[in-house]
Amino acid sequence: MGPLIPQGIITGQWDFVIALLIGTAFGFILESSGFSSSRNIAGVFYGYNFVVLRVFFTAMIVAMVGLLYFNYLGWIEMDMVFVLPTYLAPMILGGFIMGLGFVIGGFCPGTSYTACAIGKLDGFAFLGGFIIGVFIFAEAFPLFENFYYSGYMGNITIGEVFNISNELVTFIFVIVAIVAFYVTWLIEKKVRKNRTESKFE
Amino acid sequence: MKKNSNITKGPRYINPYFGGILLGLLLLATFYIAGRGLSASGAAKLSVVTIIDKIAPAHAEGNAYYDKFIPTDDSSPLFNWLIFGAIGTFFGGMLSGGIYGRLKKLRIEHSPNITGKTRMIAAVVGGMLFGIGSQFGRGCSSGAALSGTASLSFGGLLVMALMFGIGYVFAYFFRKLWI
Amino acid sequence: MNKNYLFLAILMIILAGGLLILPERTNYTQINPEDLLWDIIQPSRYVTTDQVAKMLIEQDPTLELIDVRCAKEYNKFALPNAINIPLDSILSPNYSDYLGIEDMNAVFYCNDDILADQAWVIAKRMNISRIYIMKGGLNCWIKTIIQPTPPPETASGDEFDQYDFRKGASMYFTGASISAPKSDSKSQVTIKRKKKTTATAGGC
Repeated sequence: MGPLIPQGIITGQWDFVIALLIGTAFGFILESSGFSSSRNIAGVFYGYNFVVLRVFFTAMIVAMVGLLYFNYLGWIEMDMVFVLPTYLAPMILGGFIMGLGFVIGGFCPGTSYTACAIGKLDGFAFLGGFIIGVFIFAEAFPLFENFYYSGYMGNITIGEVFNISNELVTFIFVIVAIVAFYVTWLIEKKVRKNRTESKFE
Repeated sequence: MKKNSNITKGPRYINPYFGGILLGLLLLATFYIAGRGLSASGAAKLSVVTIIDKIAPAHAEGNAYYDKFIPTDDSSPLFNWLIFGAIGTFFGGMLSGGIYGRLKKLRIEHSPNITGKTRMIAAVVGGMLFGIGSQFGRGCSSGAALSGTASLSFGGLLVMALMFGIGYVFAYFFRKLWI
Repeated sequence: MNKNYLFLAILMIILAGGLLILPERTNYTQINPEDLLWDIIQPSRYVTTDQVAKMLIEQDPTLELIDVRCAKEYNKFALPNAINIPLDSILSPNYSDYLGIEDMNAVFYCNDDILADQAWVIAKRMNISRIYIMKGGLNCWIKTIIQPTPPPETASGDEFDQYDFRKGASMYFTGASISAPKSDSKSQVTIKRKKKTTATAGGC
């Protein structure tokens, strides 16, 4: 029966009420997990705080497994779920630039909203920078319009690329995530010995 | 949970795995309701489009990128699912900050090794890079990396792997900012 | 290491592993036996050879003829514009686009009624609507359309009208196959795939 909105089961202005509620839950979870602090987030790169990895990977495997079960039970029409289209070269570049921005800025857009919400000026600075970045991109867009659309592979899934079932992909993800949780726990314990403070507000 | 120790020393955050499970369930619910994942960068992008469209409509329509996001029916680009989601994210953050006592006066959080000014510059630069990168990557860490990968999109996996990978590659050069 | 985490990790692995061992999911909701029986006893699931001939002559854009015999027989002889979906591969994804096209009336046929009837039941269970069977199949087609026998002189006027129509149809179908080689009529197969509206068909 799902997804509800694309199937027209929920219509009209309820969309926006739902968006608001989902957004609120999103913001609450991000903030209460500690994502309003850039120093917590950046800890993932220096080994003193892996909260990003934990929250991110847990969310991902829960959603993945859930989505496949929903699909299996016929609760959600996977054909109607938006699978992000793949543009190979632009996405590689985008991921590269964002990785750099991540380690310099310490936020990503979603977390910067919550940082702003609790009064952190660096959150506002990041968001301001983000807006400038989008502006620069859009102004320069004609220069690389062809590149932007290059390498289009369609709404391709991971399983289709590697020619395995998406159930297997999910299983691999779960295993990788759990191994990562354990390894990062060991790393974190070691790194934290030499530090006075590893969690920030 | 170890609530007591959290109150006495260090900030009160929820268990990261618990937060992750909540986030995963929220993401699942979002897929179930909306057929798409969570997004954060879209709202900021649409704000830019709206601002340019207000200031210089002719310029906005002449630019192929702005034009993509200006609705044809004259409604504001801001009247969009993404914007309401972002407003919600802001309030949700405020709510959590209020409950856990983190909602305080304006402040800059930075490592003791750098000045507040350095942190602000780094934040702006990081934001700029994110602004550019998220347009190439078709979404940011929530839209492309998290929601994209959760819906098993190959592109989402690509963005996620590169984002964290490159972060580690350059972490050494920017360590002064953080440790 | 906290025991709870170990428990959660194992739970997650079991859940993900469960996905791997789950049997293949059926993609369609099956019709329940009562409904299926009800539909089977309806005479309206059959169309006569005359009706098919009429639709072909009028180039009805909603008609989709499906030949469920094997490819060899199909190549030997088939109705104009029919597509070949052998019964044993009716569930193959190659053909899934041809079934259940919006606004199209799918008419199954074979030499008699048996294969077409089986295909009809399978399609019904796939929840596909607007499916029919050409009563009597190709044998009946030959008997009635290609080589119609004149009715006895005592027959009603309607039967003579029908005979006239059949004679005309016979000339239409056999004449067309003489003037144009058979391979040509095959290449004219213009079945529109799903999601395209029939408005673009442009029959005339």
